[in-house]
Amino acid sequence: MSGDGESDMEYSDNDYDDYYNSGDSDVDQIDPKKTDPEYFDYKCLLVEEVEKLLNELVEKLNTRIEITPSLAKVLLHEHGWDVEKIVSKYRENSNGLLITARVKPPTNDQPTPSTSSSIACSSSSWSTTNLPTTSSLSLHRLCPVCATSHLPDKFEKLACNHSFCKDCWAMHFETQIFQGITTQIGCMATKCNVRVPEDLVLNLVTRSIMREKYQQFAFRDYVKSHPELRFCPGPNCNIIVRSTSCEVLPKRTICEMCQTQFCFKCGMDYHAPTNCQIIRKWLTKCADDSETANYISANTKDCPNCHICIEKNGGCNHMHCFHCKHDFCWMCLGDWKNHGSEYYECSRYKENPNIANESIHAQAREALKKYLHYYERWENHSKSLQLEQQTLDRIKTRVNEKVMKAQGTWIDWQYLFNAAALLAKCRYTLQYTYPYAYYMEPGSRKDLFEYQQANLEAEIENLSWKVERAETTDLGDLENQMDVAEKRRTTLLKDFFPSTVSNTFT
Amino acid sequence: MANIAISRIKREFKEVIKSEEIVQCSIKVELINDNWTELRGEIAGPPDTPYEGGKFILEIKVPETYPFNPPKVRFITRIWHPNISSVTGAICLDILKDNWAAAMTLRTVLLSLQALLAAAEPDDPQDAVVATQYKENHPMFMLTARHWTNSYAGGPNKVADFDTKIQRLKDMGIDENQARACLSKENWDLEKATESLFS
Repeated sequence: MSGDGESDMEYSDNDYDDYYNSGDSDVDQIDPKKTDPEYFDYKCLLVEEVEKLLNELVEKLNTRIEITPSLAKVLLHEHGWDVEKIVSKYRENSNGLLITARVKPPTNDQPTPSTSSSIACSSSSWSTTNLPTTSSLSLHRLCPVCATSHLPDKFEKLACNHSFCKDCWAMHFETQIFQGITTQIGCMATKCNVRVPEDLVLNLVTRSIMREKYQQFAFRDYVKSHPELRFCPGPNCNIIVRSTSCEVLPKRTICEMCQTQFCFKCGMDYHAPTNCQIIRKWLTKCADDSETANYISANTKDCPNCHICIEKNGGCNHMHCFHCKHDFCWMCLGDWKNHGSEYYECSRYKENPNIANESIHAQAREALKKYLHYYERWENHSKSLQLEQQTLDRIKTRVNEKVMKAQGTWIDWQYLFNAAALLAKCRYTLQYTYPYAYYMEPGSRKDLFEYQQANLEAEIENLSWKVERAETTDLGDLENQMDVAEKRRTTLLKDFFPSTVSNTFT
Repeated sequence: MANIAISRIKREFKEVIKSEEIVQCSIKVELINDNWTELRGEIAGPPDTPYEGGKFILEIKVPETYPFNPPKVRFITRIWHPNISSVTGAICLDILKDNWAAAMTLRTVLLSLQALLAAAEPDDPQDAVVATQYKENHPMFMLTARHWTNSYAGGPNKVADFDTKIQRLKDMGIDENQARACLSKENWDLEKATESLFS
């Protein structure tokens, strides 16, 4: 994998010169599945489409093995909607399958009157009257829940043979639905874990509002149990995203309806190249520690040359002091000249090699220092991303001015907006490289990662600088810069962001 | 109150009164008011446990959706047990929460609570302080539970040493219940208890 990365990087360097010859068309022809590490095949579906999809699966299972559609739903829900798996398990051991899915009670524990163990419906005073063998005096039977006698046709039972009157079942269902429980509604008998299938619920619950609630909640349960389906996390959005690549991957998903961007696997903000567990760890850590970090990394810094106080008011890390005209890097406060030409070092954290010999106190200090190093950069890019919006507004006003002064047409300036969009995309990825690096074990792989991270950082800063100062004549130069930055980004993702589950790097 | 709830409670009431356990004096249910929404239960401490010989009073509130939702039960008698709050009497028992089944009755609840007194589940605690003592200093837990049974539930077994220590704190002007709770928490270390009470 890393070998690929190296050659790709060279490719991007060489490509720099014959950029105009190769052109964009060439890139378009390549299969995106192989070249784009962020490529993810998915579809945005409406509720009706998903209902149809699930119903098709129910029918499919229904034709393969002979069970009612509502039992098929229970089995599918239990087994991640994998028809083949259910069929093979069913052929192997149908009884076992039905017992583990809690459709049937465990066989050794059939609640026949004589063995009804422990305290299950066994109240001494009325158990004799509630048994299926009715009292000799009348045909009426006593329902153990409402303690009232009914005719036998008023009773209903599940596979477990626990019989209760229909009114009590209906009451039970409504109470459960009211608490948001649907697919997990169980039998009313003590210690019985048999689940109630959908058809019985819908037969007995008559209030339309409760029926609707049941169907709504059950649908949510079904979608959540289907590995390829995800609800869009956007507020009030009803779109359901379906992964069409047969795998659950932490890939970027954008809802067509509300434009919410999220990770398909965990539903949080997209976080490549970091994986789902690590980003959760990192975000929790930041939530715990951010106050200290905020305090330490204040919003202003002094110019390293003339010590005038400088506030960062744009996304770019290339600072240009208004006072003394000194160019420096916002992150490391080093001279910018060293950043442009050679190796961009300030994204790399240098660990103290003698740490093992230091005291616990010093180790804690070192741990905090390490965390702050990564946190500061993470936070810096997050702030820069927010400032990018201001930059975009500024670009708009600048373009307006230029167009008014007849320096090029509106169309001539469009490339600047593309550049700003790409800049935001790159900065987003770069932001999420810091939690990844923080949790990486030191070693050659981390060195490689930080090398690529530094490269990406350098190109992004170049791009940011150029976007803020571009003229119409700079089109070629800027497009070049855009291409280089994007290539750095994809190279890094290709090497470190898992494109399949199997090579997930943690 | 819904009809089902009332007819159920009436019937269950009779059930408990007729049951064999009442003959053995191990469980009891009494009415508190006329509308059947509040009852008072009583269970005897099971034999061979530190609760032996004690009578524990329970508050039972019957919700309107009974028996589709569980009754709300809490200990009125103070008790030292990992699954019961030593402060409020709140109970952590699965059948009073998610594992309730509509076919269960007051009798099954009372019997289950009795079973809980006989077999605590310290890994699913309601009272973390008690649970820690149960796991880390079991003899101390047994003595404390016995002492609480003696003090609050009329149990016959006195723990003389504990009574002396409580008296010492009472002499300093501390309320008896507060003194007992604090000493129990501090594993009956008088010095530590005094420190935490006066700090």
